[in-house]
Amino acid sequence: MTRQTRFENAALTCITVLAGLIWIFPLYWAFVTSLRTESRVVSDQAGLLPDEVNTSSYVDALFNTSLMDWYINSIGTSVIITVVVLLTGMMCAYALSQMEFPGRKALYLIVLASFMVPAQALVVPQFVLMNDLGLINRWGGIILPQLVVPVVIIVYKQFFDAVPKEMKEAVVLDGGGDYTLLFKVFLPLNWGITTALGIITFIMSWNAFLWPFLVVTTEDMMTIPVGITQVNDSFGVAYARIMSVALLAAAPVVIAYLIFQKRVTEAVMISSGVKG
Amino acid sequence: MSGVKLTNVQKSFGAVDVIKGVSLEVPKGEFGVFVGPSGCGKSTLLRMIAGLEDTSGGKIEIGGRDVTNVEPAKRGVAMVFQSYALYPHLSVAENMGFSLRLARAPRAEREEKVREAARILQLSDHLDKKPSALSGGQRQRVAIGRAIVREPDVFLFDEPLSNLDAELRVQMRLELTRLHRQIGATMIYVTHDQIEAMTLADDIFVLKGGHVMQSGRPLTLYDDPDNRFVAGFIGSPSMNFIEGVVSHRDETGITVRGEEGELRVALQGNKPGEGTKVMLGVRPEHLEPVETGGLPVTVEVAEELGGNSYLHTRSATGADLVFERRGSRESLEGQTLNLGAQPENVFAFTPDGMRLR
Repeated sequence: MTRQTRFENAALTCITVLAGLIWIFPLYWAFVTSLRTESRVVSDQAGLLPDEVNTSSYVDALFNTSLMDWYINSIGTSVIITVVVLLTGMMCAYALSQMEFPGRKALYLIVLASFMVPAQALVVPQFVLMNDLGLINRWGGIILPQLVVPVVIIVYKQFFDAVPKEMKEAVVLDGGGDYTLLFKVFLPLNWGITTALGIITFIMSWNAFLWPFLVVTTEDMMTIPVGITQVNDSFGVAYARIMSVALLAAAPVVIAYLIFQKRVTEAVMISSGVKG
Repeated sequence: MSGVKLTNVQKSFGAVDVIKGVSLEVPKGEFGVFVGPSGCGKSTLLRMIAGLEDTSGGKIEIGGRDVTNVEPAKRGVAMVFQSYALYPHLSVAENMGFSLRLARAPRAEREEKVREAARILQLSDHLDKKPSALSGGQRQRVAIGRAIVREPDVFLFDEPLSNLDAELRVQMRLELTRLHRQIGATMIYVTHDQIEAMTLADDIFVLKGGHVMQSGRPLTLYDDPDNRFVAGFIGSPSMNFIEGVVSHRDETGITVRGEEGELRVALQGNKPGEGTKVMLGVRPEHLEPVETGGLPVTVEVAEELGGNSYLHTRSATGADLVFERRGSRESLEGQTLNLGAQPENVFAFTPDGMRLR
């Protein structure tokens, strides 16, 4: 290794470490804050280093808020959204990839176009629609608009397009139809992508804030990200409690990430078009 | 087992006619081979028999039953693809038993049939492996096994050996011949390789531009081609062709003189008049050095194959001629020779390619 290469490597390492520190600091600060008493948090003595281990904010969050309800709501809605999004996404992608019907190309272009519309732009019409359907403060109201995830269709279609034509013809000759082909060949062949898309959809749904915040006003139907706002309301500006709820809210996703780290990275790369 | 009969079968893709009224029959238990250059329609024809392509016109019968509009799975055919089309997530046994599982066959029956097919194809030790753990030849055998398990009336092979190396291809060719003799099923095989066609077929169907140019036993096509295309396509190295004009005719045949020289052709039927343009064809093994007359050529390259050699020569007018030599290893490179042939071994064709007999 030349001297110049060594210097470049060292510089790159320093930049990476610095970026990592910038990224991790808010998490570190949230954790340190959550372990302090409220008075300590706002006092002049509070420094950057952890100086107190006080779990009262966690006890408050767990026993004096609806955190467990919000957990259940978040798990329930995220699981339903993930399952339905994957199922409808793969079936739609299968139709667009493998079936001949009039308007197929136009339909795919619509899916592509909808991928380019930011979710925020749809909030108002979706709210009006859900209101007209009487789905405000209903599970259907939370879930339905989150079921449209064009990127799942696009990614599945890319993978289905890559399956050799002969594979489909072999199934047809073996006496199978479209459902056999999709569920017994295409799905097992693309199991990795299904897992990856499932994880990313679950995380997106778990973290969804804007829509559930607009469509739900009753506390017992809130998901965790929306519930955090209630902690703020109930206790005034209670920084330690807010941080502990935020950390508890993120915990399942962090644990899931640590377990499926490789798959999540793969999913992010696939859905961002880095890998296909 | 059943035979396959096509009557005036046609296929068009939009305005393009790909199959232009093909009629042929592969009798029950025979091995028929569709052979022809790329784009001649041979694979399309096979896919039409399988039901993977719709038929624009005509009738397809399998075992006397009109299957023209019957869905693929109900035609009683099984197909082996060039790319094997194995399901990578299933084991060899599961791949072979897939169709029976879809047909909800009892597990015991399924396993018995898979075991029997594996025994025939010497795959018994590989039943639990995934296709990715197999060699190319083994994968191809699994694809054939998947077809055998279905006990079809007709086996269809779409260039199944194209992905294998030369040695394995020869081995698989022999195995296919053995398999055909063992199970006695009707088989239709598509290839662009005329050696595969010659070695495997009971009947060869030579296709060009969506037409059957000639069909028959392999040696019949080799010895007695109907037209210039079949004469040139069947046989390796290809037949030599020389243009010329009839310079003399008598009861036994004609003498043709071209820029390269002169050859005599034996003809039984109508003989073209003197001055008529004809195309002569001579197979490499029928050309031989002669003392005088014939075609003067210079040997440019000698391909030594051990038992025989192919000598690539060039005439004074630039025509390339190949002749085969057996039993001598004397290098003739750079030498000038006169090549001749027995009149009965020289074919004559009209300028539009039809054979004169």
